[in-house]
Amino acid sequence: MSKPALLSLQQTLRKSFHNLENNQKIWTTVLSECSPLMESLGNLAEQLRALSNVQISNTPLRNFPDLEERLRFKLLQATDTVLGKLNDKMSALQSVRDAISNQVSAVFQLYEQNTDSLDLLTVTERSATNPSTADMLEWLQDAERYYRQQFLRRKTLLQTLRADDLSLLESTPKRWKSLESPGAEERITDTLCKVSFFMESQ
Amino acid sequence: MEGDITVTSSNRKCSAVTGSARKIKDNAADWHNLLLRWERLSEESFPIAGNIVNLRLNSSQSKQLQQQVDEPLLPSSAPLQPTGGAAELQDECCKLQDILNNMVVVVMKMERLMVSQRGVLDLEEFQFGPEGRKVPLFHSWTTKQFGDSFRVLLDAFRQELQLKQTILQELAHTVTSDLSLVYLSCWLHQPFIPPQTRMMLEALLLETGHRPL
Repeated sequence: MSKPALLSLQQTLRKSFHNLENNQKIWTTVLSECSPLMESLGNLAEQLRALSNVQISNTPLRNFPDLEERLRFKLLQATDTVLGKLNDKMSALQSVRDAISNQVSAVFQLYEQNTDSLDLLTVTERSATNPSTADMLEWLQDAERYYRQQFLRRKTLLQTLRADDLSLLESTPKRWKSLESPGAEERITDTLCKVSFFMESQ
Repeated sequence: MEGDITVTSSNRKCSAVTGSARKIKDNAADWHNLLLRWERLSEESFPIAGNIVNLRLNSSQSKQLQQQVDEPLLPSSAPLQPTGGAAELQDECCKLQDILNNMVVVVMKMERLMVSQRGVLDLEEFQFGPEGRKVPLFHSWTTKQFGDSFRVLLDAFRQELQLKQTILQELAHTVTSDLSLVYLSCWLHQPFIPPQTRMMLEALLLETGHRPL
């Protein structure tokens, strides 16, 4: 049993959980900022659908030159703007994912470097205030996987959008919402709860 | 504040000596103010237009529901009219008409600016011949270019106003949700106002010295 290796690992674990806590907040904030953008997207899709359903030449608007093209242009332009803003949000989410991934891989690297000095007994030892190292490593890995998958799914969703595919555009807000995973989010919050004493100690 | 007409001593080219330069600079400031006024009126009008559509669609839906309820039971009785809705609808239409009347005034003022600009160009052609003055009044635009910019803006707003007037007449009578939504889209997105309007206005203000270069 090597004390220094364990202490160093615990230090890094603490840092990782602080990192996770901060990034969880950022992630939640950025995601909530996506909601009004998704609503706008759905709204614009609805307007584009209505425009394609209406035969302008059969309406009182028939005498306005190129009205349909002009309106469509404006709607597509507005759609572009919203997609641009969503892209910015995705960049922010990517930063969160990267921050968490980097920190977690650093902690695992440290663990692997010291496996000789950290035997099974040490790694599974827990106390009233400290969960076991094994558990903490597992929780960090779970959290990292969650954010990695979430980012990938959301990014893929947005990347498959095409301005000329109206039904894709219309279904986007719903599909975006379906990616929510309240259970997994709660597990991360639980994790942070379980390590709260550990984070404060030393 | 933007739009205030102050003679800046830093911009010697816009001296008050030449009446034409003063006139064009004032016109540019007026255009800016008119554009802002239009934008404000537009923003004010959109929720009202939305209300009108909702009231109309809801009332036609409830009429349909009422008919469905009444017909099987009492085929001879007339369906109940939701009178509360009609008064509110009338109200909203009046509000929208008021806003539109203000927009008509805006376009009228734009037309007057066009006339004034035409006058400046005519004077220049009289003084300097058909090619106009050799040295530009400001940085680089010819007097004709000012007129051309104004014309583009005027035509766009005239067309947009006509569209809004047509929509206003139809909005309260349209029962199909698709067409109603198209009307609202047109009202909000203003298909005839070119996307580069803001940029044209900024260019105008830069040229006449209202904005620092």
